[in-house]
Amino acid sequence: MVRLRAPLFITRHVLIALVAGGLGGVLFMVFLMEFDHFTSSNEFCTTCHSMTFADAFYQKSSHFNSASGVRASCGDCHVSEGVFAATWDHAVGGKDLIKQLKGQLFGPDYDDPVVNALHLPEAAFAAREWFRKRDSATCKRCHNLDAIQGKRGGTAAIHQEEAPGKTCIDCHYNLVHRPVPDQSTFKREAWNQMVEEEFGLPAGRAAELIAGH
Amino acid sequence: MHDRRLSRCPQGLCRCALLILALLVSGPLWAAKVKLDASEWGHPAGADCVSCHTKASAGLTQQWHESAHQKAGVNCMDCHRADRSEPDAREHEGQVIATIVSPKDCGRCHTQEYEEQQGSVHAEAHALIEERVPALAHNFTGAAMQAAGCDQCHGSRVKVRGDGTLDPATWPNSGIGRINPDGSKGSCSACHGRHRFSKAQAREPEACVRCHAGPDSPDKEIFEASKHGMIYVAERDRMNLGADEWVAGRDYTAAPTCVTCHMGAAGKLPATHDVGLRNAWSLNSPVSERQMLVILEDGAKLELPSSAPQPKRGSEIAKADGNLGKVKAVATPDRRRQAMNLVCQECHGKAFTEAFMKQFDSVVELFNTKFAIPAKAIMGELYQRGLLTSTPFDEPIELTYWELWHDEGARARHGASMASPNHAWWEGMYLVGRNFYGRFLPEARTLAGDQVAEVVEAHLQGEGHQWLVDPNQASTILGFAKPEPAAPGTEMPADAREAQ
Repeated sequence: MVRLRAPLFITRHVLIALVAGGLGGVLFMVFLMEFDHFTSSNEFCTTCHSMTFADAFYQKSSHFNSASGVRASCGDCHVSEGVFAATWDHAVGGKDLIKQLKGQLFGPDYDDPVVNALHLPEAAFAAREWFRKRDSATCKRCHNLDAIQGKRGGTAAIHQEEAPGKTCIDCHYNLVHRPVPDQSTFKREAWNQMVEEEFGLPAGRAAELIAGH
Repeated sequence: MHDRRLSRCPQGLCRCALLILALLVSGPLWAAKVKLDASEWGHPAGADCVSCHTKASAGLTQQWHESAHQKAGVNCMDCHRADRSEPDAREHEGQVIATIVSPKDCGRCHTQEYEEQQGSVHAEAHALIEERVPALAHNFTGAAMQAAGCDQCHGSRVKVRGDGTLDPATWPNSGIGRINPDGSKGSCSACHGRHRFSKAQAREPEACVRCHAGPDSPDKEIFEASKHGMIYVAERDRMNLGADEWVAGRDYTAAPTCVTCHMGAAGKLPATHDVGLRNAWSLNSPVSERQMLVILEDGAKLELPSSAPQPKRGSEIAKADGNLGKVKAVATPDRRRQAMNLVCQECHGKAFTEAFMKQFDSVVELFNTKFAIPAKAIMGELYQRGLLTSTPFDEPIELTYWELWHDEGARARHGASMASPNHAWWEGMYLVGRNFYGRFLPEARTLAGDQVAEVVEAHLQGEGHQWLVDPNQASTILGFAKPEPAAPGTEMPADAREAQ
């Protein structure tokens, strides 16, 4: 009769450490997954007041109100798939939280709708670059190029014949949030003037706000 | 005055000077040849535009496929390309483009047409009325009507918003006096329908119909009602509308269209994209004026009433925008009329042409002296004496006066200018008279109260109004027999008695 014996170095303490470590690891992974899941939700993102401005436009977009009933959450588009990538994105995104908190004391206060609108273009440019670097990976979670039919005759053909070499974000920007021109044709003065008109500010106030006065 | 001038000036010299002037302010005999080198067009990205837009917007792509642009190798990017610094430049599929193709853009190749068109009454159609529009469009109706009504003909001042989009209160718009984001004025597609840009289509009277119709400028209806319009419809297949060169009297003789008289080449008279060049009168003003066209060195143009002192060549003059410009040439009303007459004379005799113009001028002068000048003076008195508020259209007489010159008066004058008897009379001067005697004067008298003698009657001393003084000018026009002569001792002839 053969008795299965653990190797000698597996002492009781080692065994306890292994089980505890394994359980801890599993728990940590579960925690990360839950953490990423929770921090990708619309509810979490909009706990910061500054994010409610982005939310207002999102709620009017087809990514919020789709005919099929599918609703893309903040994280569906802005957080990568996979627990490590998602954790990394959240870690990087933490800088926004720091900026947000810093704004309560000094520097731009993103909770202020005027400041928020004035700084929006740079945020949009960064977000587009993020999508472009990842080959619009988060779009492709739901959208499959081969399956795009569209309602009009040419839509499928355009996506088959004209899309090679392009990534979703190259054509499809200004879909969800407040429209911002492409960086190549963006004009800061015109943007400032628009914000000044919108909030009834005197000419030149926007530039002062950006400079931090 | 016109005739005396001609008689003092030797005929040949006069004609020669006219042609030189016409060449100065317009171009050669037909649409100018493009001088830009062909290497300047045929943008490499154009093929990608066509490939995608064949699927995305097949209609416009097909129109372009059938165009002379396509045959010459001019593609989407050649017209829609933009510099990133332009206010309405935007990124589109990797290219920097502008949705609006302005006259300046077209002018890269069509330089001469662009230069002629800038400063014309067409190009200035928005600028000329910009200050006046709100009183009618905004107060009387609402701002929505400016975008859908006024600006669709006069053109909008296109607003590019800070987010790069075009303000829908100002776009889409292809009004002919559109003020474009690049500062140029006008819209070539007002007449040259995109994206086929057919020569034949632009030569059709229908090219003008979108705006030159309706109560205030029924030029479509007038043309159709004239002998010119009648023959045009009957002989349209002989109009040679698609010809490369389209000189009246040479390439076609069947009938004139709007373009023929107002822009087209005729005999030795060159074509022009300045549509008002040959107009001796202002016909859409409260009181018509013979007008001088002042052409400035920088290409700007000014319309001045001929009552103003004629500016000298080389002198400086204030432009509409307040800046000074140097005078390059002045086209007097007589010269402008002569240019128009040259078109007529491709088909009509000189005496016929001049007699027709005499009939037309007499109608304008009648409108001015009998109705327009007294009505304007009476309105002036009412405002000056505080009997009307300074806000337009808040009192009924302001609408009455507006319709008198802007609608009915304009119809009469246009009708006479283009030979539609119906518009000159029933749709025009008859209504002017009905309005003047039936509405305007009674309303003015009521407002004037005890000041009626100075405010109203003092302005009705012209001989045109003396018929009102004698109440015994009987006529059978209303269906009543003339009353028996009252004078005693006059016997009616026996046969007349029997007839009764």
